[in-house]
Amino acid sequence: MSSLSKIPILTRVEGHGSVELIRDGGKVVDARLDLHESPRLFEALVVGRRFDEIPDITCRICSICSTVHKVAALQAVELALGVHVSRQTGLLRELAVQGGQIESHALHIFCLALPDYLGVNGIQELAHREPEKLQMGLRIKKLGNLIQEIIGGRAIHPFNLLVGGLGKVPEAGPMQSLGKQLLALRDDVTTSITYIMGLNAILPPLPMLPACSVTGGPPLFGDSLTTSTGLAIPAGCAADWLNEQVELHTHAKVSRFSGTIPFMVGPLARLVLTMPEKYSHYFRSTTIRSSLTARIIELQQAVERAQALIGLLLDGGLKKETPVMALPREGEGTSLIEAPRGVLLHSYRFDQQGICCAADIITPTAINQGAIAASLKGLVAAMDGAEYEQIRNAAEILVRSYDPCISCAVH
Amino acid sequence: MRTLRVAIAGLTACSGCQLSLLNCEDELPGLLELFEFQFFPMASSPALLTGEYDAALVEGCLSMPLEKELVQELRRRSRYLVALGTCAVCGGVAALRNGEERELLRQQVYGHSPVAGETYDPIPLRDVVPVDASVTGCPPEKEELLRVLAGLARGALPVGIDYPVCTECRMRENLCLLTERGALCLGPLTLGGCGARCPSMSVPCEGCRGPVPEANLSETLKIYGQKGYDRITVSGRLRRFCPEWEK
Repeated sequence: MSSLSKIPILTRVEGHGSVELIRDGGKVVDARLDLHESPRLFEALVVGRRFDEIPDITCRICSICSTVHKVAALQAVELALGVHVSRQTGLLRELAVQGGQIESHALHIFCLALPDYLGVNGIQELAHREPEKLQMGLRIKKLGNLIQEIIGGRAIHPFNLLVGGLGKVPEAGPMQSLGKQLLALRDDVTTSITYIMGLNAILPPLPMLPACSVTGGPPLFGDSLTTSTGLAIPAGCAADWLNEQVELHTHAKVSRFSGTIPFMVGPLARLVLTMPEKYSHYFRSTTIRSSLTARIIELQQAVERAQALIGLLLDGGLKKETPVMALPREGEGTSLIEAPRGVLLHSYRFDQQGICCAADIITPTAINQGAIAASLKGLVAAMDGAEYEQIRNAAEILVRSYDPCISCAVH
Repeated sequence: MRTLRVAIAGLTACSGCQLSLLNCEDELPGLLELFEFQFFPMASSPALLTGEYDAALVEGCLSMPLEKELVQELRRRSRYLVALGTCAVCGGVAALRNGEERELLRQQVYGHSPVAGETYDPIPLRDVVPVDASVTGCPPEKEELLRVLAGLARGALPVGIDYPVCTECRMRENLCLLTERGALCLGPLTLGGCGARCPSMSVPCEGCRGPVPEANLSETLKIYGQKGYDRITVSGRLRRFCPEWEK
């Protein structure tokens, strides 16, 4: 006889979700993710609002990913209205997004995931058990926030990023200081890599899934999707290809792709598709077991890219600029970007007055629902015969290794 | 000093208020010694309410039945209940179309599927339980959050702010975006405490901290009118974070 057990509240993840474990007799035979957070209906909230209000509203979808949501929305609005921003604005946005990447990865690695590897409950016990490791993670995280603050005016919900440009361009002084602090962070990053790479895997071998990421621009930016199966999908066709469907067991729409195997997005997917030679030996396999390794490598890449961007900005002299004027017009714009957790799409349509008449937002965790479901099935199969409690623990760790952002997924 | 037991919960929101706490990177190790964050699902496992709490800090508005149960349970178990952030205090951005037919909004997103059919118009905490203190802002300022925690440690919650963003903006000697540039800046009507963060970078206040007590709405609307903003435009902006502005 089959019955249902539940991990009622997923912990150490952003937002509200649960996992249902389906048991037949004493044995777990299947597992299902349920993102039951209440939808705020953002795609409906923005309808009727003027173009310049959209990024301020949709960045509120998520706090951890607020900078990247803001930039995604700005790019979509600017595409729709035919606004072209300066090179300096582009570089500043890119730097802000890398700041978000650093903050988000440091939060996940050191505060949310590390407790699993050390067998502690979370930050509180971590602070007792490994205070130096926690503080090292917090130092890295703080700098990610500082980058976002200097450019966006605030670490969460950055207000200084506007349609056409910035409210106030940061001055050279703070930018130079930021560069120095990033340089000083190098030891922490190197130590972190060695430490994280040295942790033993805590999940059993799992099936590999095809990967998808954004391509066609600087790191994390671009105008199309690429997949490990060899597909190339331009931004305008991305929503059709992702093929989001409403399903009964989750408040987040589920990407059905072309109905075959689900694709994974996120740090591991990005590395699978662009693996630099120097890192490839760290990955014996590229299944989600390696997600923490992928995140720490990306964290280093983000710190390096941020340093390079600061160099470019300082070389350019950081000129005072006012935002490029945006005039209302009828149009539609779709932007793609890599959020810390993977592919993010914002798409808006405006009428002649620049009022939003339709919106579509597709987030990484929504896309990853299929991959998580497939991994959960793989886990149940790999742990056949194990105690219920062990499977339950592993299922939560598995979901966490995708670093789900459920507020994003449901929005 | 006794370690204080604190519960931190999120309802319908973006987790930004909880993240603001986790963003206190310098203070966090010290806070983890002073407080036992026994219930804090975003950063600790498992999510189990046990015993009583010196305080519960709650982020977000309520928009589904389970949330009401959780909030009532937290209220029963806690000496102080603190509304954390604009969503918890006045509904926030999720409530910006409150008053319209929610079913129609839901259908715009989910079509005719019954998914999320049990959810309702977002409401603030105070509509459901008595609230002892509020920290507003989207997101709240870290310093305000720390002041509340410091207050709890001393046994007294801090006194709330009662002046508008304008006051802090003048103290910083910023150019007035409303009178000098004709921007739709909500500083005169919005609760201060942010140090006029946005206007100080030439970005008009968007009202993310909600209304200041005794806001002079009619006089300010006249100024907005003189600058060419009609009532509908202003009202739309005011409702971005607080649906009850016009009550």
